[in-house]
Amino acid sequence: MKTLDRKLLREVRGHLGMLLAVTSIIAVGVTCLVTMVSAYMNLAEAKQLYYAQCRMADFSIELKKVPLAELAPLAAMPEVAELRSRIQHSVTVDLPGVIEPISGQIYSLPDQRRPVIDDIVIRQGSYFTDRRDNEVIVNEKFAKAHRLRPGLWIRMLLNNRQQELFIVGTAISSEFVYLIGPGAIVPDDKRFGVFYMKRTYAEETFDFEGSANQVLGRLSAAAGGDSREVLRRAEDMLSSYGVFTTTPLEDQPSNKFLTQEIQGLKSFAVIIPCMFLAVAALVMNVLLGRLAQQQRIVVGTLKALGYSDLQIFRHFLKFGLIVGIAGGLIGCGLGWWLAKLLTALYGIFYQFPELHNRLHWSVLAVGMLVSAGCAALGSLRGSRAVLRLHPAEAMRPSPPRRGGAILIERIGWLWRSLGSGWRMVLRNVSRSRMRTAACIFAAAMGACVLVNGFMMQLSLGFLIDFQFQRIMRSDIDLTFNDERGRDALAEAARLPGVNRAEPTLNVACTFINGWRRKKGSITGLLSDATMTIPRDIEGRRLRIPAHGIMMSRQLAKSLGIERGDLVGVEPIKGQRRLCSVPVVEISDSYLGTAVYADIQYLSRLVDEEFAISGVQLAVDRNPVHRAALYRELKRLPAVQAVSSRADMIRNLEDILKTQSIFIAMLVLFAGIVFFGSILNASLVSLAERQREVATLRVLGYGPWQIGSLLFRESMITTILGTLLGMPLGYLMTLAIAAEYASDLFRLPVVTSPGLWILTMVLAIVFGLITHLFVQRTINKMDWLDALKMQE
Amino acid sequence: MSQPTADKANRVLLRLQNVGKTFQMGEVAVEALSDVSLDVYAGEFLVMVGPSGSGKTTILNLVGGLDSVTAGRVWFEDREITAFTPAELTRYRRETVGFIFQFYNLVPNLTACENVMVSTELSRDPMDVVEALRLVDMEDRMDHFPSQLSGGEQQRVAIARALAKKPTLLLCDEPTGSLDFATGKRVLRTLLDLKQQLGKTVVLITHNSAIAQMADRVVRLRSGQVVELHDNPQPLPPEEVVW
Ligand SMILES: Nc1ncnc2c1ncn2[C@@H]1O[C@H](COP(=O)(O)OP(=O)(O)O)[C@@H](O)[C@H]1O
Ligand SMILES: [Mg+2]
Repeated sequence: MKTLDRKLLREVRGHLGMLLAVTSIIAVGVTCLVTMVSAYMNLAEAKQLYYAQCRMADFSIELKKVPLAELAPLAAMPEVAELRSRIQHSVTVDLPGVIEPISGQIYSLPDQRRPVIDDIVIRQGSYFTDRRDNEVIVNEKFAKAHRLRPGLWIRMLLNNRQQELFIVGTAISSEFVYLIGPGAIVPDDKRFGVFYMKRTYAEETFDFEGSANQVLGRLSAAAGGDSREVLRRAEDMLSSYGVFTTTPLEDQPSNKFLTQEIQGLKSFAVIIPCMFLAVAALVMNVLLGRLAQQQRIVVGTLKALGYSDLQIFRHFLKFGLIVGIAGGLIGCGLGWWLAKLLTALYGIFYQFPELHNRLHWSVLAVGMLVSAGCAALGSLRGSRAVLRLHPAEAMRPSPPRRGGAILIERIGWLWRSLGSGWRMVLRNVSRSRMRTAACIFAAAMGACVLVNGFMMQLSLGFLIDFQFQRIMRSDIDLTFNDERGRDALAEAARLPGVNRAEPTLNVACTFINGWRRKKGSITGLLSDATMTIPRDIEGRRLRIPAHGIMMSRQLAKSLGIERGDLVGVEPIKGQRRLCSVPVVEISDSYLGTAVYADIQYLSRLVDEEFAISGVQLAVDRNPVHRAALYRELKRLPAVQAVSSRADMIRNLEDILKTQSIFIAMLVLFAGIVFFGSILNASLVSLAERQREVATLRVLGYGPWQIGSLLFRESMITTILGTLLGMPLGYLMTLAIAAEYASDLFRLPVVTSPGLWILTMVLAIVFGLITHLFVQRTINKMDWLDALKMQE
Repeated sequence: MSQPTADKANRVLLRLQNVGKTFQMGEVAVEALSDVSLDVYAGEFLVMVGPSGSGKTTILNLVGGLDSVTAGRVWFEDREITAFTPAELTRYRRETVGFIFQFYNLVPNLTACENVMVSTELSRDPMDVVEALRLVDMEDRMDHFPSQLSGGEQQRVAIARALAKKPTLLLCDEPTGSLDFATGKRVLRTLLDLKQQLGKTVVLITHNSAIAQMADRVVRLRSGQVVELHDNPQPLPPEEVVW
């Protein structure tokens, strides 16, 4: 071993505290990087594999009913590589022992197994057999949630008839990586299921012989990856068969959620580690700066002996690299472990045939490289000042630090009112610029991450409250499979335990403004509806206009429409008469893109006198009444879907709980960053001023008084940094909300005084904890030695 | 400017020609050396004396390649140091010069032996480390850290460090400056032995005129200028020097 390396090792031993500080920050940065990038790669790869395995459709067309022969021209398009038709239908399932009705969706599959678009992966049991017609394959999570397994029978209400179906297998499909029921944004394994049945059986049951109501397709190379043109032409071709929706892959709900998650993860995987690593490089810079300053004379002497700048830099670099590699190794290990946790967590919401935390060597290599690089950068910047000196210059004692009055001294009355302690503290803070800057930056990044984490949590809570307490107020929503008249409402009102029933009418339509078209739907409500209350951004109740529609801001924005404009509305059902309708009001919401209108106005728009497609119920809390109601509902063939607000809230709150794990992790990371930077700054400050400290001790200062000086210094920078970081965190959350905003959901950006207070309190607590370490060092310090030492 | 008066047969090892050095300290310029011309001969023991602040260290630093001139030129044999690139300067310091400082400048967390090794590891054909320490009579303290050695012992380790890479030129900046009388004498004896036994050229600077008595030649500096230069035909051994 080279002699200089021996010196290095002894120095490492002598600076363990400071090294620990920097190492921990680097480790946090690398941990974040490895965790997020690994999770990202796990998800992205799993998605790609799964989509290929199931031959995921590039587009789908939902229509009323199309004879199979009529699909030939579409299949013949050069842009279309492959086409498949299927039958889908919503269904209500009655499971023994489950009081509430369960809704689901049925899809047909070929009677005999052959590879198809949007194929399934069998998880348990088998594909259909030749033994029965009425076989069913159930989606795995639903089966697990209800302990269904192959060999059991399941009872469903199919096309108004109760039917018994034999479960042959359980399966998953790339179509439903993120499986949500209609209107939901969170999966609910228990209350929504997917059921696959034989094509012939489905044709028979739903009267679809030789026809289908959904077309799935894959694009050929000729389409250039864009399905919009194909879909536009397909819509024309099939217009006489009642096209409800055309869905390119990017709008497919499961894919949309998954892709958004992966995208979000990717941006997080860059931003957060960068923030932490920047802090690490800065702190490293401070530490190496101190080390190099302290070793000015050694550096000068080595140069005089004939060591080149490069050799001496390499020496300091090794010091940095030890930290970088240690931090990198810890970060890689911890990151790999956390990636495993995170990936498993994703596995709860996103279902893949295989979602494992693979060991991504490239990620680990990048992690090591980045940490070494950032340590090297910090070392370079830190030691540069000393390395650049002529050896003769280096060997002279370093020039006295910048003197002169600091800013606060100019405010005479303030300065005069300060004791000598505060004066020392303030001078130190404003004179060691680099260290102060590093500390403020670290605190700012820490606070930024904290604020961001807390805001995300608040945001989801706010969303739940806004959507499910303030806008949506019904206890249970029923959806009918057909439009009904007034009598359906009266019937619903008579159901047991129902206190109040309000009608809704949902009309699927295309909104048109110039060249902009958007598929969506209008919900008709009573003018004095109490169970759906549209609101503006302030949460104020908006009145439903008697004439015209009320459009959600998100939709209005994407159509380029403002309040008072006219919008073209083309209903998908019925006469499809295009009419021009005024947008009287803009409403705000965080889920979906609702458009409201007066139910009578909307009925007239679709040439009806008074139509309803669903009912919203306020019901008794009494569980006995509730059970009776559910029993009744299961028997009603006309009821297609039942959704209960309480269930949706519960599902969302589950997500909140999962999210808290992340928040806790972020708090921990932010804590480490605070800890590392404060510890480093305090120890460096202490080392720089050993003589001053010794002199103070001689004057009769106790260790706690010395500690209080350092504590005040670190508190000033911590509080300043936190104050700076808080708005930064707010802006970051704003940016994230903008990034995540989609038609499906938007994150509200909300704050509360408690959030700011909590962030500040945490920052101070982190500072206090760190100071305990610093205080220990002060207590153990051999100050007499420092007095004798010549620097 | 005074002309060198020594025997022309002596080979010139170092030549300073109208050397000037000005330090810029913010607004003010400090002229540390002005128009210094001087030859140093191979194998001589040259002592520069002058009061504190007269520019002695500055000269030594320029000659040793630790600092750059602001005027004039410096030659080592036939090479112009003042025209060296940084890499050449580093090589020059590594291969040609041995430095001895007033405050020894040992690396604090390396032992005596390791401090010497720091220097030998740089050299292609270094002296044996123990051998170098034996020359300064320090071989039995080689595993001690600088903090465990007295000033004189530290200075001797520093000499061993300078010697070990077999430099042609030994530059000593007040080597006895922070030592007591007796220890100082021991160090001077060591330096003189090196000159006599190994034929090294030694340039030693001091503010202590008494030490000049052991020199072959004496240069006297004042306010950055050479004010006197004379031969000393009968150098005294250090033991006989008193101050
Ligand atoms: N790096 C420097 N910056 C400014 N002034 C310097 C520097 N080095 C030396 N000086 C000045 O140059 C003059 C000569 O210094 P020096 O050569 O160290 O004197 P000596 O070694 O004879 O005591 C002094 O006035 C000193 O203050
Ligand atoms: Mg000097």
